[in-house]
Amino acid sequence: MVKVTLVQADGSSAVVSVEPGQSLMRAAVLAGVPGIVAECGGQAMCATCHVYVREDHLDALPVMGDEEEEMLEVVASERRPGSRLSCQLVGLADDVVGDVPPSQI
Amino acid sequence: MVTAPSTGSLPVADWVDPRLLRSDPYPIYARLRQEAPVAAVPAINKVLLTSFAGCVYAEQHPEVFSSVVEGANLNRALGGVSLIRKNDPEHATERAAVNPTLRPSQVTQVWSDRFRRNTEQALDVLAAAGDRADLNRDFARPLAAKNLMDLVGIRDVPVETFARWSADFIAGAGNVLDDAEIWARCTSSRVEAESAVDTSLAYLQRHPDESMISLFVAAGMPVESIRANILLTISGGVNEPQHMITAMVYLLSQHPERRPASLDAGAWRRVFDEAVRLYTPIAMVTRQTVRDVVLEGAAIPAGSQIGIMLASANRDPAVYDAPDDFEPDRTERRHLGFGAGTHLCAGKWVAEASVAGIGVPMLYERFPAIRPDPIGDVHWEGFAFRGITRFPARLA
Ligand code: HEM
Ligand code: FES
Repeated sequence: MVKVTLVQADGSSAVVSVEPGQSLMRAAVLAGVPGIVAECGGQAMCATCHVYVREDHLDALPVMGDEEEEMLEVVASERRPGSRLSCQLVGLADDVVGDVPPSQI
Repeated sequence: MVTAPSTGSLPVADWVDPRLLRSDPYPIYARLRQEAPVAAVPAINKVLLTSFAGCVYAEQHPEVFSSVVEGANLNRALGGVSLIRKNDPEHATERAAVNPTLRPSQVTQVWSDRFRRNTEQALDVLAAAGDRADLNRDFARPLAAKNLMDLVGIRDVPVETFARWSADFIAGAGNVLDDAEIWARCTSSRVEAESAVDTSLAYLQRHPDESMISLFVAAGMPVESIRANILLTISGGVNEPQHMITAMVYLLSQHPERRPASLDAGAWRRVFDEAVRLYTPIAMVTRQTVRDVVLEGAAIPAGSQIGIMLASANRDPAVYDAPDDFEPDRTERRHLGFGAGTHLCAGKWVAEASVAGIGVPMLYERFPAIRPDPIGDVHWEGFAFRGITRFPARLA
């Protein structure tokens, strides 16, 4: 189990525990983290589970698949170097800190 | 909202008249939201969820609100169990096969050119109809049908035939009153459609492409499942884009000042999303509870058939300011018109590209003055599936 800190635009934050085999999206939705809309339930079809992973944590992430790469082209808030779809973040190697983008839709 | 053991009771809305649900459902939804957002409605034998929060909750808790529904009209209409009537993981496996051709980049690279060509042809048909033009019959319906024929991979069938299949399946899926004539039409269309799917399947096995049938074949899906899933896609993939084309023109003719500049893609998308919110074409999606559950204080017994009223959630004043107004620039952009959760519409990006990106902007480019004919009557119809069925139009 790893711990992920998700920081909102207003500076508030939530720490969610991600079980092995669980996606960060699922853990965040179950914990009721605002701003993780996750409309498609984790199929890399909606791009509404976008997070900005902070630079010093990028090594803990799984490699990006083609679908995720594709869907990051249509995220509502600008795409940045740490942009990931949280539904595709399964098997984090370490604790991670990320920011929730201002909008998902 | 809790899911503790049931304690409360279940309100009964025996005043809901199914005929009024078909003619003007929105006041009924408003009263349900206000008095009993979770209520048993005897007239249609379902528990209806009408608040935004309740609908989202049900969509996001498939372990309670199952897509496996006993005696589902949809399964009968399609002659088999399609992925929309399955739960994960079975559902996810089938969806994963076609998701690749339905993501936005693929829609742009593979499908947009065809949608543009199809739109040009449909505009010629509309022009030829001249004074007697009906925007639904002469443009929206044939265009939506041709776009979907390409996407699923069915050729050599007249567009009109394909559009009729879709209408007949939708009529069957929504046949809550069990009309025998509707079932008869549905069955004969199903036999025709299945044979067309089989023909395409044989061809695409030898000549694979990006169509949905081809991707299902490549994923090794059994033939019966391919047929059911393609028939499902024909049902939802024609009627709904068709209804949104006419709804957008209807709304923009009432609010001409809101018509976007032809190249402002973002503004066209906002008009499209607002049309989907206001005139949600799939008003209801069905589920069945697998255990007792308490939702918004109401106790729903296990085994209840549930109607998730997307069309009502989308006008919930708890979420939207002036929910009955057309306001493309509203701040709340989220709506449930495509559902939510794992069954979120597979064709969401296709619909947006073909209708908001291509179909309607090209229509206005060619016929800037298009509007309802003041002497004709725009006619709306349907409960579970609702949209404009007649749209006498002036082209100039
Ligand atoms: C504006 C147009 C459309 C609207 C409003 C719409 C709406 C919906 C809705 C509400 C659902 C059910 C979601 C749920 O149960 O939560 C759905 C499912 C579906 N739609 Fe659409 N749809 C549209 C266009 C299309 C198109 C063009 C296609 C063609 C590919 C399509 C294919 C499907 C399929 C295959 C499903 C089943 C998804 C699943 O169960 O995983 N739809 N749609
Ligand atoms: S939940 Fe839809 S893309 Fe992640």
